Amino acid sequence: MIKRGVSLYSYQQSQFFKKLDLKGQIREVREGLGTDGIEIIDEAAIPHYPFPSEEFIYDWHSYMARYRMKAVTMDVYMDVHQFRDHVMTHEEAAEHLKQDIMLAHKLGFRNVRTLVLVPTDVIEMCIPTAEKYDVRIGKEIHAPWPIKPGGQIKAQKGMAAVVNFRMVDELLELKERTHTDHIGLVPDFGIFQYRPSEVAIDYVKRHAKNPDAVDWILENAANYSHDEILTLVDEKFPGHGIPGSDVERMATHESSAKPEDIIDIIPHIISIHGKFYNMTEIPGQPGHYEDKCIDYETPMKYLRQYGYDGYIDSEFEGQRDQQDRGVEHLVDEVEQVRRHHEMLRRLSGE
Amino acid sequence: MFDDFLIRKDSLKNVTHDGKTVGFCFGVRIADYRGCFLSLHNGYYISVDGVEYPREVQRFGINGKAPRTFEEIKKCCWEHWDFDDEGIVYVEKEGGLTPGVHRVGLQQSVLSQYGYMPWDEEWVKNPPVPGSGAGSGKTANICYYDLKLQEGEVEI
Repeated sequence: MIKRGVSLYSYQQSQFFKKLDLKGQIREVREGLGTDGIEIIDEAAIPHYPFPSEEFIYDWHSYMARYRMKAVTMDVYMDVHQFRDHVMTHEEAAEHLKQDIMLAHKLGFRNVRTLVLVPTDVIEMCIPTAEKYDVRIGKEIHAPWPIKPGGQIKAQKGMAAVVNFRMVDELLELKERTHTDHIGLVPDFGIFQYRPSEVAIDYVKRHAKNPDAVDWILENAANYSHDEILTLVDEKFPGHGIPGSDVERMATHESSAKPEDIIDIIPHIISIHGKFYNMTEIPGQPGHYEDKCIDYETPMKYLRQYGYDGYIDSEFEGQRDQQDRGVEHLVDEVEQVRRHHEMLRRLSGE
Repeated sequence: MFDDFLIRKDSLKNVTHDGKTVGFCFGVRIADYRGCFLSLHNGYYISVDGVEYPREVQRFGINGKAPRTFEEIKKCCWEHWDFDDEGIVYVEKEGGLTPGVHRVGLQQSVLSQYGYMPWDEEWVKNPPVPGSGAGSGKTANICYYDLKLQEGEVEI
């Protein structure tokens, strides 16, 4: 059964402005959304991470119990420059992940989400810890990664240059080889995003020295390779003033994963990130909402049809593109997540 | 992200030491949706009315401790800058700032990233200079703020 949850990532702006603290966020999920799934960002939700006080841990369990909540997934990171005098080794990265697994266990989480770039051997070193503490390691499938390799051209420039198209295959090979049920996948709905969000386009245009460059990227992205777009925009619009990462997101013209590819990985999914940027009312359907740049309908159909049993946790990310025009233009995160849950309820047949 | 809100609007003040005005300071938040190990914090691009103040004249106050240089911060591998907390950036400038409104440009450098990257070894040897956009975390552009110098000086 598809269950609804929220990554508290969604309320980052409300937390920043002290409008909604950790407890307020949890209460909103129960009272505003009528559900129980909680996902956290370790370095945002846990005071004094990675050494929270015993008082915090007790209080967390108590509060989660009061609202009958489930600690689904804790999102953990791998900052390889932490020690600054050397790049963190894979062994050090594994120690870090083991500590995060133990912390997740202390807080009652069923899963940790590791980043898409965490090397497979780092995950392998952590399997005994994951089994001992009964916390599953879920590797994220994040755009621009695919689920399955299939004719993509390897980029040489930008973020896309580090994409390993076989990431999912390698993780599943590890799972088979080690016979563990404590590793799996966390697909992010961003892999089904097929064009840039309107809120992102508007942001990049406001900051570009030459906004025409943005229109050119939007019109031409489908006709050139990733690397060609990065080169051509510099040639055609010298001094355009758009950071490379923004050129890359403006160039999104097809989803990084095919919706049907999710079918085969359903047994390996530990939880899902419901990424979205901007929920707007569907024309002619009052009270029904959609994100116009992400295909939810097709993957949700497969998740239902093939019996996905787990959580989809809302992950609202549109706020960051609307924080450059004063407080009056800040978006209401609580309302955005409520709209997202209207869609999730509808598409999951709840 | 948090473009308009990285510096608290009413936080710009002059700084005194031993009765002399030695600089200015302001309150900042992290340009990310999560906190960071303090060692990852690599300083700021700061300009005031067009004059740049490099990392070498900056100090950072966080976690109730006295302001530290970014060479000291670099060694704080297990101390954490929590997402909820405001830090104070101290900048050396003899005589401080004049009364009135100043245009402050800011880019924060935090070397957080999502895994191994091709430039990792280079960053150990030569960390990015704040302002270039490299290592600028989730807000790659330089953000500008018109800030009124507040009354009262901060003693360090």
